[in-house]
Amino acid sequence: MLELRNIGKAYSNGRRVLADLSYTLEAGEYVAVMGESGVGKSTLLNLIAGLDAPDTGEILINGVVMSSLDDDAATRRRRKELGFVFQAFHILPHLTLRQNVSLPLLLNGVQVEGAIEAAEKMLDAVGLNGRGAHFPRQLSGGELQRVAIGRALIHHPKLILADEPTGNLDPDTARDILMLMRTEIKVNGASGILVTHSRMAAATADRILVLTKDGLHPLGAVNSAALHQSG
Amino acid sequence: MTTRTHGGTLSRWLFLGEWRAHRIQAGTAIVAIALGVALGFAIHLINTAAFNEFSAAARSLSGQADLQVRGPQPTFDESLYPMLAQHTNVELANPVLELDVALPGNSGERKNSTLKILGLDIFRASDMAPDLIGIPAEDKLLDILADDAIFLSPAAMEWLGVKQGDPLQLRVGTQTITLRIAGGLRRARAGQRIGIMDIGAAQWHFHHLGQLSRIELKLVPGIDRAVFTAALGQELELRGQYLVTDTADQEARIANMSRAYRVNLNMLAMVALFTGAFLVFSTQALSVVRRRHQFALLRVLGLTRRQLLKQILFEGAALGSIGSLAGLVLGYLIAATALYYFGGDLGGGFFPGVRPSVHFDPSTTIVFFILGLGITLLGSAAPALEAASATPAPALKSGSEDAAFSKLATPWPAVVCLGAGGMLSQLPPVFDLPVFGYLAVALLLIGGIALMPRLSALVFSAILDAVTRRGHGAMPTLALARLANAPNQASVALGGVLASFTLVVAMAIMVASFRVSVDEWLKHILPADLYVRTAASGDTRGLRPDETKALAATPGIARADFFRSSQLVLDPSRPNVALIARPIDMADPGNTLPMTGDAIDADLLREDATPIWVSEAMVDLYAYTPGRRVTLPVAIPPPDFVVAGVWRDYGRQFGAIQMRLADYQALSGDQKVNDAALWLEAGVTPEEAIASLKRLPFGEALEFSEPAQIRALSLSIFDRSFAVTYLLEGVAIIIGLLGVAASFSAQALARGKEFGMLRHIGVTRRQILGMLAAEGGLLTTLGIVLGFALGWCISLILVFVVNPQSFHWTMRLSLPWSALLSVAAALLLSAALTALASGRHTVSSDVIRSVREDW
Amino acid sequence: MQLFTRDRTHTSHAHTAHTSCSLARLRIAAFKRIAISSSGFLAICFVATCVLAAPPQFSQVIKGKPITFPRDFGAHPDFRTEWWYVTGWLETPDNKPLGFQITFFRSATEHDRDNPSRFAPSQLIIAHAALTDPAAGKLLHDQKSARSGLGLAYAKEGNTDVKLDGWRMLREEDGRYQTSINANDFTLRFSLTPTQKPMLQGEDGFSRKGPRPEQASYYYSQPQLKVSGSVIRNNKETAVSGIAWLDHEWSTEILDPDADGWDWIGINLDDGSALVAFQIRGRDGTKVWAYAGLRDAHGRFTQFTPEQVKFEPQRMWRSPRTDAEYPVAMRIQTGSTVWVLTPLLDDQELDSRHSIGAVYWEGAVTVTRDGKPAGRGYFEMTGYVKPLRL
Repeated sequence: MLELRNIGKAYSNGRRVLADLSYTLEAGEYVAVMGESGVGKSTLLNLIAGLDAPDTGEILINGVVMSSLDDDAATRRRRKELGFVFQAFHILPHLTLRQNVSLPLLLNGVQVEGAIEAAEKMLDAVGLNGRGAHFPRQLSGGELQRVAIGRALIHHPKLILADEPTGNLDPDTARDILMLMRTEIKVNGASGILVTHSRMAAATADRILVLTKDGLHPLGAVNSAALHQSG
Repeated sequence: MTTRTHGGTLSRWLFLGEWRAHRIQAGTAIVAIALGVALGFAIHLINTAAFNEFSAAARSLSGQADLQVRGPQPTFDESLYPMLAQHTNVELANPVLELDVALPGNSGERKNSTLKILGLDIFRASDMAPDLIGIPAEDKLLDILADDAIFLSPAAMEWLGVKQGDPLQLRVGTQTITLRIAGGLRRARAGQRIGIMDIGAAQWHFHHLGQLSRIELKLVPGIDRAVFTAALGQELELRGQYLVTDTADQEARIANMSRAYRVNLNMLAMVALFTGAFLVFSTQALSVVRRRHQFALLRVLGLTRRQLLKQILFEGAALGSIGSLAGLVLGYLIAATALYYFGGDLGGGFFPGVRPSVHFDPSTTIVFFILGLGITLLGSAAPALEAASATPAPALKSGSEDAAFSKLATPWPAVVCLGAGGMLSQLPPVFDLPVFGYLAVALLLIGGIALMPRLSALVFSAILDAVTRRGHGAMPTLALARLANAPNQASVALGGVLASFTLVVAMAIMVASFRVSVDEWLKHILPADLYVRTAASGDTRGLRPDETKALAATPGIARADFFRSSQLVLDPSRPNVALIARPIDMADPGNTLPMTGDAIDADLLREDATPIWVSEAMVDLYAYTPGRRVTLPVAIPPPDFVVAGVWRDYGRQFGAIQMRLADYQALSGDQKVNDAALWLEAGVTPEEAIASLKRLPFGEALEFSEPAQIRALSLSIFDRSFAVTYLLEGVAIIIGLLGVAASFSAQALARGKEFGMLRHIGVTRRQILGMLAAEGGLLTTLGIVLGFALGWCISLILVFVVNPQSFHWTMRLSLPWSALLSVAAALLLSAALTALASGRHTVSSDVIRSVREDW
Repeated sequence: MQLFTRDRTHTSHAHTAHTSCSLARLRIAAFKRIAISSSGFLAICFVATCVLAAPPQFSQVIKGKPITFPRDFGAHPDFRTEWWYVTGWLETPDNKPLGFQITFFRSATEHDRDNPSRFAPSQLIIAHAALTDPAAGKLLHDQKSARSGLGLAYAKEGNTDVKLDGWRMLREEDGRYQTSINANDFTLRFSLTPTQKPMLQGEDGFSRKGPRPEQASYYYSQPQLKVSGSVIRNNKETAVSGIAWLDHEWSTEILDPDADGWDWIGINLDDGSALVAFQIRGRDGTKVWAYAGLRDAHGRFTQFTPEQVKFEPQRMWRSPRTDAEYPVAMRIQTGSTVWVLTPLLDDQELDSRHSIGAVYWEGAVTVTRDGKPAGRGYFEMTGYVKPLRL
């Protein structure tokens, strides 16, 4: 499904964050990625999303090399095959919930009526039934993230990228959201990468990986002392 | 196909969502565009309507003539008429005596007025210009030929307040004659004030025996007009100087009369639109910055660059379309209202006595719509390109707003604009219009504004350093820091205000220079104590030799100079040139005329050529340079003259020639004079002199004016002709202020989080407002200083390039300090208040929310 | 292009039509016999006189003042109205008959005589020309008017010399008249040679026109004029010859207020005699005044009193244009002699309502005298159409 081949990436200021990173994610697999701050977790997500290009190596999604695509092609792949959940929710403030959730469908050319209908169903699934006409300012943080999860999954992407989705939420809400996300990923048959500092959060994934300067390693193969500090 | 539909839905959602949330910003942008388009469109409509009506009215006076024959002077000897009438190729010759006849000045409004009267031979005119036939009363059919009858157009009757059967008094020389209003005209254009009478009676009553103004010709069918015109021209050369013109020449002549004025006014109207463009730019730019995160998110979710670009341009186009449409409607209403209440004359005095109505012209309307839309799209283009090219991942983080404008900070395009502007200002006019001058003005403006970010960063950093070193309070430091470190946003806010203030400064300096020059010129040309004439204008005014003698011999008069002014046609496609004959001091013409300094030495004047002094327009239009030998058609054969010098004339943009009265009378045999300048003996007051002059047999017909009155009147006419200019400047300022309001409120919104944070750490609401006011004030101050510098540069172009090229007169630069300072102060105050008012809304909103909200 | 041209033509016609409405009555004013149909004209002139500060004083027609030639061949600008009126029969080389009429009117206006302008419209010149061609079945006619002056239009004193732009009539030293008319649809160039002395009408040229003695004119005729010359139509020149009649008449006031129209005939008789007869009709069609004068080939002149002259309509013709009914065949009795007029063409009506505003019948006729063919003449009838309400 996702294959990282010898990825290397340095910031424009010259600091090297990723070096010779290789990893293969199987279809339907849901992994959590942990790691110290600044180790390149978000950069890795950006590279996978095609928002940034690696300096070396290749990223393949279903056998297609992402880094070989131009911006338009990458954008089209992204809107079709990927779903995103952010720490800061990023729900458009001037659109209703159902409009926000239906955005990916519209971008993928689905009829408006169908998209709205699907969005309502998705809102039901994430526990916000009957609130499709509400605006984001009427929602709490946890509810906003439910909307974001709905938006990330509505177009049945093959891969969900979640960057600290519960970073802004209280532990109870965070647990609900993480369970919801896992359920939805599994129900939709998608794969997922969850970047987080929280061990509790990471525990909801199938596997936990730790990102270090040397690459991605299963939890336990590295010194996990640093990870205890967060979460 | 489907993609487009759903893209359309998405586009609409985003657009409507944005607008719902930022009604005020969208509203101001629309209002700015609408005002700009409305003004430009209204002025265009008014000018076009007035011009069309004016030329249609002029055309209606010559009916269906193929050609016109006229002399270089206003009238010529009638002996040409039988010759033309019997010409083999001429089917019909229609003799016309057209005179502007003065009305006795008793009622205030008509005081300086004349009535255009056409003397016609009904037997010829009825076939040539059937509209211009009088309709006599049922029982007085022969009034058509009567020696005391005149027929008036409805507008003339209304204007004079008379009706059929009333007497009509007219001033001829020092006498008043009374005609009988015998009826109306078969057809006259609305607003056209004309009178028709028998040509024989007109020649007699108006002392034009043997004289005609023109002869209109209808050619035998099948005769080639061009060939005939050339042949007739040659034939007529033997008889003196005549001009054979066709309709196209007359149209060109009429168009030339007002062209420079119309173009300049249209340019001025464009200023408002131009300022509007800056406003759209700032509105759009700030809106894009504010929505940087949203756009980044959409890019992440899969919106392509092109789709994003289209989205932003679509929003701009929507603003532009609504604004332009509203502007077109508003402009049409303004034009219709102005034409209804004030006629077509916008103060320039070029279209007197016409009552045009506004006409809807689809193509012009579309042009103005496209202009409004285009300018909006232009204003949206830069922000749209910037947003589309931004990398989405970093843009999702906060604090990247000012980076959006980093491209604007490159100084090179601005420097290139300024340089090109400077160079273009040196180029000559195109088709008598200062095309390059206007381009230079536009380039200087664009260049100056584009340089603004660099300048404001420099200036505010320097101030910030100074303030920090002295350890002033936190709030000034905060305000300055923002201005110094985010200079691009600040400059965008200032674009509109800078553009409008620059243009106001430029126009104010130009008008002031013009006014001061005119005032000095008036002082120079009005050296006498008292001026006397029989009527302000018209072809029938004048004093006979016996009357001038009596005038000069009146007790109390130390010296009397007499003037004879008339008109010459030197080029049939150009308006008349004024010819003024008066005593001129040969030793030093500068004593009499406001010389420009361009002259040949008096000793070099040869005995055999009569000297003339020409206005600057004569040099530009006819190349009458000092020392050149020319012939002027003041007699037959036309005598030789030498151009002895150039004088400054603000009264006649189409050219004027002065010569000594004695020379003129000797050459032309014309002994009449129009005006007299009187110097009084010491101890005699003007009132006493007027009293004794009134006792002359013709004293009641004389009009007296003192130099101060003439000056005041001239200056008030001057001010009136610039009234529209002031109005347009005012609108440009309002648009500029709208821009300040829009950008400050947009920024205040964008900075909601910042304010919330400041409130959290203990800054009072008053302090935040103070900071906003300080920011607004500082920014506006910089704008004013820069606007002043830029405006001064542009005023140089207006004074030394645009004016000489448009109107053919030069002037001295003078700066209206007090007016400029008060406008600057008003601007400063309103900008600070605007900034304050737009900040108040944000600051008063929920502090907790503003910190928590993402954007 | 074609359409455009045609439209323009229409427009200019329309203009002409409008233009002439008011002019029309002015021109009627100068019109000899037609003037009768506009009986209001005198009143108009009279009212106009009252308004003027310095009305010109016109000469009056006085009985006993002899007509002197050649001076009286020329114009008499001191009288209000004057005309030279030529009518006649022509024959083309292929023996087809044509009729023609050429008239020059001079009309003095009330315009102040002190006006020294050469454009001062003190005298107006109006001219009218018509050509009757039975083959064409209708009348061709044209008219012109102008103020006298600047050599473009004049009626000179001393001898017959009248000009209006390109239209001219000139009496040469030997008494021959040369006339040239360049009308819209035709051109006439005639030389008219007198074969007899002028025929003085009435009492030695004093011709009464009504029951009151001041209703009179000076009037002489030149009958039996030999015509040679050419007619140009459609750019085709035809040589013609024939016989014509010239009337020259001048007066200041001739009309009776009751007059409504008149019938006039001038006949060149084959035996060299000449007959003039006219009657002035009142509103109800009755005879207000009548006259006839017959001069035989030897110059013997017989005058008939109003009672001896009777006009009796024989056959009526209704104009399809104006609906006016004209007695185109007329029986005229002078004393014991009976004359019967037969028109060359029924339709010789001049419908000029849209150009000069007048309608009358003016046409070539053949004449029998007591039942036997006797000669050819021109017959004029006015006042059969109600005056236009303007």
